[in-house]
Amino acid sequence: MPHDNGPHDVIMPALGMAQETGKIVAWQKSEGDAVKTGDVLFEVETDKATMEVEAQADGFLNGVRAAAGEDVPVGNVIAQIGSEAQASEPVAPAAPETGSAEALPEGAEVIMPALGMAQDTGLIVAWHKALGDEVAAGDILFEVETDKATMDVEAGENGYVAALLAEAGEAAPVGAPIAVISAEKPANPVQRSQADAAAPATSQTKADSAPDSKPEPEPAKVPQAPAPKRTDGRILASPKARRLALEQGLDLKRLVEAGHPQPYHVADLEVLKALPEKTAGSAATASRHLTAELSTDGFAEFAAWASESEGLNDTNTLLAGLAAASLGQGEATITVESFDQARAYAVPAGAFSAITLAEEGATPELILRDLRMSRVSTVALGAEEAPVLTLSYAGSRLVVTLECAGHHLTAAQAVSLLSEFAGRVEQPLRHLL
Amino acid sequence: MREITLSQAVNEALAEEMRRDETVFIIGEDVAEAGTPFKVLSGLVEEFGTARVVDTPIAEPGFMGLGVGAAMTGSRPVVDLMFGDFIYLIMDQLCNQAAKSYYMSGGKLNVPLVLRTNLGATRRSAAQHSQSLHALVAHIPGLKVAMPSSAYEAKGLMKTAIRDDNPVVIFEDKLMYNDKAPVPEDEFLIPFGEANVKREGSDITLIGTSSMVQVCEAAAEILAKEGIEAEVIDPRTIVPLDEAALLESAKKTSRVIVVDEGHQSYGITGEIAGRINEKAFYHLDAPVLRMGAMDVPVPFSPALEDITVPTPEAVAEKARKLMSGEMIHAA
Repeated sequence: MPHDNGPHDVIMPALGMAQETGKIVAWQKSEGDAVKTGDVLFEVETDKATMEVEAQADGFLNGVRAAAGEDVPVGNVIAQIGSEAQASEPVAPAAPETGSAEALPEGAEVIMPALGMAQDTGLIVAWHKALGDEVAAGDILFEVETDKATMDVEAGENGYVAALLAEAGEAAPVGAPIAVISAEKPANPVQRSQADAAAPATSQTKADSAPDSKPEPEPAKVPQAPAPKRTDGRILASPKARRLALEQGLDLKRLVEAGHPQPYHVADLEVLKALPEKTAGSAATASRHLTAELSTDGFAEFAAWASESEGLNDTNTLLAGLAAASLGQGEATITVESFDQARAYAVPAGAFSAITLAEEGATPELILRDLRMSRVSTVALGAEEAPVLTLSYAGSRLVVTLECAGHHLTAAQAVSLLSEFAGRVEQPLRHLL
Repeated sequence: MREITLSQAVNEALAEEMRRDETVFIIGEDVAEAGTPFKVLSGLVEEFGTARVVDTPIAEPGFMGLGVGAAMTGSRPVVDLMFGDFIYLIMDQLCNQAAKSYYMSGGKLNVPLVLRTNLGATRRSAAQHSQSLHALVAHIPGLKVAMPSSAYEAKGLMKTAIRDDNPVVIFEDKLMYNDKAPVPEDEFLIPFGEANVKREGSDITLIGTSSMVQVCEAAAEILAKEGIEAEVIDPRTIVPLDEAALLESAKKTSRVIVVDEGHQSYGITGEIAGRINEKAFYHLDAPVLRMGAMDVPVPFSPALEDITVPTPEAVAEKARKLMSGEMIHAA
């Protein structure tokens, strides 16, 4: 939690998971001393070890309220670091700052542990127990992520989960209570988020209005125990699956979103490819839209020549031939659309005369939409089942537009296809060469 | 082609090389009249005499030291170590002297010595006569390590070892001495550092050494019935290692299990798995698995001993797990 310019609380850190108090062995700084972040403030002894605790802010040590030799409950404020030295004022031994603690069910508070020395907050990755669940001290209660690691945290007490005060995905300040474990089955279990904690009034109403007979955890708020959804965004996938996904422009995140179980292997990429297209979405599924403008339409002249000297009267065949050649993959099936009529052509490598109508139901590699005779000048229709090349006029200039989905063609392939095709339309002789 | 036992193949290799080169001699315990406990050397003393098939007292460090000295001074000794387990006794002669003399003498003293010994459990010989200790010597720079997986390899690798100008340790599997395999009658050598693809497959690679090659082949048979095509590769020598062949197969199938009869921890399986991980990482669709002998002294109890080494069924089971996409340690 960022502490802007206000005083920074020094709390008794939780150095062990099952630790309730820490004994201050010695203060290394005295009331009023100037301290820098990283300076050792005091030494603390737990049942396991003695450790030095560093200052987490620059300033002056004020309000020291626990002396060497004292046992202090974990999470209690034992001093403050302020911007200026203050005259020591007696402060009552403070309870942990819990905000609206009075509304919570009775029981042992579970606080966000300090897993690192320079840690302000911990991110709750997942709760492993739901509101009202019975827990044993050694049960994993939640998973917490710091800047360094993700760790399982045990309940530390036997009893029932009487309150959950932070949601999965939320960060809570170190030392802040995030759950309450009651000895008896709780009559009024409380569920809040850390955001609610900032506005306790509303959350209280919510808690009070909860049915009191038996705790019915709201399913939406309680993550499942084997939390496959990882908040750090790391996806489990084999190196080969990752590499192929990268090469093919596939986004493994889509599998996660589709609920496909991890870890992912090469076989799962087929599932990914079969996922329905999203209209708007991530980089891999984004549509590509490229246009080329030609000042001269060499095609009309070429079509006239082909009709006269070669007897090729179907200009659609010629367009299909140019388009297929631009794909540069040998044989191709090209659908040519003009005047609401769509015809699929099977285009072998070679002469125009070898082009035939494709068999019914053949899936085209490329759709060519001829809008030269319409009033449409620019198109942006989005990706369709195959890449679409559209011919249209904008004034006297011929516009060639390529639209496709990210997985149809890589950016480089799309650029290459459009420039090849535009070049062939501009100078059909180039095609013959 | 005629089939002979692994034992006969070794015997032939030694006899041929001793006829070809009179500096080749055999030294060890019970090598002459007894022809070793496994009868591998039977008949050699009759042909070559006791000057070239030398029986020694039970004194491994002594005769190994004699062998190293003889090798430095112009002979090509084949030192016979009755059980691979006794290698602990000759570690200094082997690892400090034989392996390092060429280096320490600035190339003036090479040691063309062959240490012939064995490995393999499930012979009910208990913990001190059942170990597979090839990883110990493979760890030492200066030693070559050959691991024949059949009579054919046993003969071809032995002849290459004898002609090598540097020390070579050959581990034969003591359970395979009576296994027959086709071996050409004409002379042949098997070069070191050339793996042998025993069976081609596209789904998973099983890398096996010595005794584990036949285990991998049997596992591949089981898997083939289930539609899984396993490739089986025998590196034949672990030093030098035909890394290129192993990587090629790993890249082809993207799944690998390495099977070896040495203890699994800090062993051959880990070394090979590590190299594949380093150099074929982006081709792997599953973690490379190691299957070695259990990390326990080899039990005398037959029931216990049999479960300490990888079996075809166990290899097939691991292969199925990798094929089904079940990552064994997915967190």
